[in-house]
Amino acid sequence: MVTFVVRRLAFMMLILVSVSFLTFLIVNVLPGDVANTILGDFATPDQVEALRQRLGLNQPVLYRYVEWAAGMVHGDFGISLKTNQPIGPTLWGRLKNSLILASLGLAVAIPIGIGLGVVAAVYKGSFLDRAITTTVVIIFALPEYVIGLALILIFSIRWNLLPASSLVLPGQSVFSNPLTLVLPIAVVALGMLAYFCQVTRASMIATLNSGYVRTAVLKGLHKRSVVVKHALRNAMIPTLAEIGLSFGYSLGGLVVIETVFSYPGIGQFLVQAIQNRDIPALQAAVIVVAAAYSIGNLIADVGSLALNPKLRV
Amino acid sequence: MSGQQPQTTAKPAVSPWERLSQVAILLFPALLFFLIAFGPLVTPYSPTNFDPPNALRAPGEAYLLGTDEFGRDVFSRIVAGAQPTLLPALISTFIGILLGTITGLAAAYYRGRRDEIIMRVMDVLLSFPALILSMLIIVTLGANMVTLVLAIGFVFWPRSARLIRSAAIELAQHEFIDAARARGESAFHIMFREILPNMWGIIIVDFTLRFASAVLLVASLSYLGIGVSPPTPAWGLLVKEGQPLLQMAPWVVIFPCVVIAIVSVGSVMFGEVIRRRLTLPDRRILS
Amino acid sequence: MTGASTHNLRVENLSIAYGTGERALHAVRDVSFSIAKGEAYGLIGESGSGKTSVAYALLKYLRGGTIRTGAIDIAGNDILAMSPSALRDFRGNRAAMVYQDPMSSLNPSIVVGEQIAEALRRHRGLDERAAWQRSVELLALVHLPAPDALAKRYPHQLSGGQQQRVVIALAIACEPDLLILDEPTTGLDVTTQAVVLDLIQELRHRVRSSILFISHNLGVVAQTCDRIGVLYAGELVEEGLCATVVSQPSHPYTAGLLRSMPRAADRAFELKPIPGSLPDLTRPPPGCIFAKRCEVAGAECTERRPGARRLSDTHVTRCFFPERVPELRDAGDKTVAPAVAAVAGPGAQPVLEMDALSLSFRQHVGLPFFGTVRETRALDDVSLSVPRGRTLAVVGESGSGKSTLARTVVGLLAAERGVVRFEGTALASQAAQRELDLRRRIQMIFQNPDGALNPQLRVGDIVARPLRLYGRAKAAEIPARVVELLEKVRLGARYASRFPHELSGGEKQRVNIARVLAADPEIIVCDEPTSALDISVQASVLNQLRELQAAAGLTYLFISHDLAVVRYISDTVAVMYLGRVVETGPTETIFHGPHHPYTESLLAALPEIDKPRRPVAAVPPLPDWGGKGCLFAPRCPRRIDGLCERVAPPLADTGDGRLMACHVPLSGLAAAQAAIPATEPA
Repeated sequence: MVTFVVRRLAFMMLILVSVSFLTFLIVNVLPGDVANTILGDFATPDQVEALRQRLGLNQPVLYRYVEWAAGMVHGDFGISLKTNQPIGPTLWGRLKNSLILASLGLAVAIPIGIGLGVVAAVYKGSFLDRAITTTVVIIFALPEYVIGLALILIFSIRWNLLPASSLVLPGQSVFSNPLTLVLPIAVVALGMLAYFCQVTRASMIATLNSGYVRTAVLKGLHKRSVVVKHALRNAMIPTLAEIGLSFGYSLGGLVVIETVFSYPGIGQFLVQAIQNRDIPALQAAVIVVAAAYSIGNLIADVGSLALNPKLRV
Repeated sequence: MSGQQPQTTAKPAVSPWERLSQVAILLFPALLFFLIAFGPLVTPYSPTNFDPPNALRAPGEAYLLGTDEFGRDVFSRIVAGAQPTLLPALISTFIGILLGTITGLAAAYYRGRRDEIIMRVMDVLLSFPALILSMLIIVTLGANMVTLVLAIGFVFWPRSARLIRSAAIELAQHEFIDAARARGESAFHIMFREILPNMWGIIIVDFTLRFASAVLLVASLSYLGIGVSPPTPAWGLLVKEGQPLLQMAPWVVIFPCVVIAIVSVGSVMFGEVIRRRLTLPDRRILS
Repeated sequence: MTGASTHNLRVENLSIAYGTGERALHAVRDVSFSIAKGEAYGLIGESGSGKTSVAYALLKYLRGGTIRTGAIDIAGNDILAMSPSALRDFRGNRAAMVYQDPMSSLNPSIVVGEQIAEALRRHRGLDERAAWQRSVELLALVHLPAPDALAKRYPHQLSGGQQQRVVIALAIACEPDLLILDEPTTGLDVTTQAVVLDLIQELRHRVRSSILFISHNLGVVAQTCDRIGVLYAGELVEEGLCATVVSQPSHPYTAGLLRSMPRAADRAFELKPIPGSLPDLTRPPPGCIFAKRCEVAGAECTERRPGARRLSDTHVTRCFFPERVPELRDAGDKTVAPAVAAVAGPGAQPVLEMDALSLSFRQHVGLPFFGTVRETRALDDVSLSVPRGRTLAVVGESGSGKSTLARTVVGLLAAERGVVRFEGTALASQAAQRELDLRRRIQMIFQNPDGALNPQLRVGDIVARPLRLYGRAKAAEIPARVVELLEKVRLGARYASRFPHELSGGEKQRVNIARVLAADPEIIVCDEPTSALDISVQASVLNQLRELQAAAGLTYLFISHDLAVVRYISDTVAVMYLGRVVETGPTETIFHGPHHPYTESLLAALPEIDKPRRPVAAVPPLPDWGGKGCLFAPRCPRRIDGLCERVAPPLADTGDGRLMACHVPLSGLAAAQAAIPATEPA
């Protein structure tokens, strides 16, 4: 188990190095000069050259990559072009906010999503199953901002129950007004629970049709015991892996959700970096998101490992 | 040998309501193609020209879905926006699945080291959330329709490759592939004449589901102001521009949202109907 | 219901259907039988007979099926009238089941001890500790080694035979009145099967349960049960004492089954397949269900359904003309060519040679880039040869490397060392590197007739492919050639336009044979070509292969796990164990004995209808066996301690025309094997 985690960690590091290199390549090697991108189409050649000097663009790509990567390892994410401040501190604060949003969303979505999935699978083909499945497909097919705007329309504008924006003053905690968190968390949770429900239902149906569930039924066990002890436990193995994969999806979704609610998270940071053509900030944010995604995957893998005796050798 | 209980050969009876909804869903792609091809030609008003006297009209007889703050007809803008929203989604899905199918088949056929290398590259690409990778590509290449299409196609490539690969590997376990190898058939013959014909169902379903997520991606990107710029009436852009009016003139936001939802839910449902027809196992929309 | 005192199970007029209305499949119709206390009743049938449906109906567990009519009484309980909660109290308690596939029947994420203990807690009201204690005792009862430790293991850590013993321990945990065994040994190796059958025999005398033993294998049932019921297409066509039914079948179907079973003990026995195929059970015929395939049917057979006819106290048949059955039983299939085709004399040049082939599989365990590599020796210095026009059968259990050998010969796998020669020329190791014409001359028939046909292609295109690939026919001639080939394997031209899923298993394997013949090959490698087929279909495929050999002088490399099939089809035999050839020589010599100890254990384990199976010799396990020496030593009853586990015996000439790898001299083996009853009837 320990060796598995260690190996899995090493593999993750490998992926992260590749990811950072790829990010760097996309930004630096793809046609279109970064300096041009930053300055726009109307810059004079002198201005471009000056910026190239400042960004060190005249040095070889590999050298720049190593320098940049080495900086990141030491926590130096570079200097923002927009604010001329180090990117690191802001980025960490934003990441923390996003993680708060994502984990609270997960905390809501996991029990509800899995619960609905189990119910739908156990009563497969019934009206209840159809109602759950259809709702879930619809939620899943809606973009986050549509759900977000719908909730704002209902809860903020129509009933005036909850704030439509999660804007906080710089330096203030997102918890300073917990009510502002409710709608963004709801949107995050809805998207994820729709997904968890689908995955759980599919793997539950597979396990409910398995030979060992038949054995359990013909052993005379109570239905509860058959479903929970024999079916659900095994169904959770693929489900957990899928949940890990969906983590990245929800991180992508955060970009939109945070924009809708003006929530000060990493997604909003990313969008602002793009709007400001702040390439160093953009690079840093992308790496952090990819890292968060990989860690999410790792956690899910270890979780499904803990459930699966076959892999515990 | 035997041992299995016989499977029911009879299909469950289909209610008229269900049949109707199936027909409706099968008509759905036809409607989308019509909108893409002829959308801009059939708008009742100009989707882009300002008409200040008629600003912020509520939905009614003259303006079916109301007007925005510049007096532009929301209905016309939605109809005209189908092309800049759906066309890139369609083309990028096509590109992504084409690349994914070829890569996936090759990885499944060759296995071994080549497969390992291909799939590790795919793993790296998969470490980026779809939206973020496409944002990154579009921003670096410069925001326009072509880069939008390329970016989304590129993002779909590893996702599609992984699906096709695992399905093809499952299929390649069958002895007819061994039989072809033993006969000495070429790699091309085995990949495209033996394996591929068995994959059309999966590919078609994958296409519909991925098209739905491409629509969402295009809409999300344009909502974030990436990829498509005003005055193009792309649907995501309509939502973005209308959001400040949510309280005053909600119709400016609601109707584009509803249309995005209909198209996205519709393509997912369409995929479901096809999958049930082909009785394929559950495939996830993500990853 | 009466008679609960003498019978543990009574089934009356049971009918089961799947689906509803026009398209309902009437899988089981009007089946009645009963099992006395302590009696073992065998229910035998081929695929589509409805035997598994009957088994599950007894526990009222039919997924998708409904019991249309009938009554089921187990030890005085009316099963069909039970409430769900009463049924839960009953299942696993008064009636329990052992399933076909033990691996999938056990929960992969729960230790096996708990899987038994939970049933004890549920039905016996035992507390945690007592239930665990009892489940360890049960594991000991089914002879699992170190039951204390084994109870804490997960199913995947046990072998297939051990898993099945766990399932048996679970089934007898509550000492049920009725124990249902649904193909409990199908999928197990023949020696493992023997161990499990011995265990069932032993438990029969310990537990006073009635046993319902469901199987497709007449040999297995004949050795385990007191009475036997023969199920065909959902109807019980014959019932009687085992010995009676096997020696004096009185239903044409039973006789046909017996005629199509190859026997390891009797080579001269000519197989005679049952013609035709199963009737459409969505519209069962009004007359006798077997009439269409019956060779002694009269006019009334297609009009009226024969009632149960009692021939003696115990023997019942559903046939109008049981007196006609004996002629059917004795008539051999004279259309088949003699087994030993006189093509090549002794000393003929071998057409196919396998020279010192070695191959290991390296399986990567764990994550990409990490994890370890597990190496298994699949072929270890294997040298064999086949003369033109003859059949070499390679026989062994799973893991013996026999299929690997077949795949190496056709170039699907590349040997690490050694070479395959065709007419004296060495072949490239990979099929892709071989010349087109060499590939054409060596063809392969696969185990799974279904999987070997691309479901998206029509039969005509499948058969035409080799004609195109190898340029065996001009484009214009292809359709005619396809029809010719289909007719050669007794399929008509109308099959050309069908898709594989429209064919039965036997028809599919015929298409595979037709495709191979399209290449006009000289050597056909047959990898278990009949193991996925029913007995009656197997007979027709085997006869077909023999006919083709006689007609075209084909050379076969025939891979099989079934000694009876091997004896029927082959001229020479090679017995493989864990990648090595332990014995090879003329079929008659190998079967006559004295045998290599491994061959001996295979023959001893083989369930045959007309000979008692010898109990498997228990061998004290080797304490610290490093894997050197003879690979069979740990299991060998003739082991010479101190020698066999250290020195690998070479494959040496024994002087009677064969090669054997054993330290015990032939005379020693002969003496040891003479001490136990002979395999063959005098």
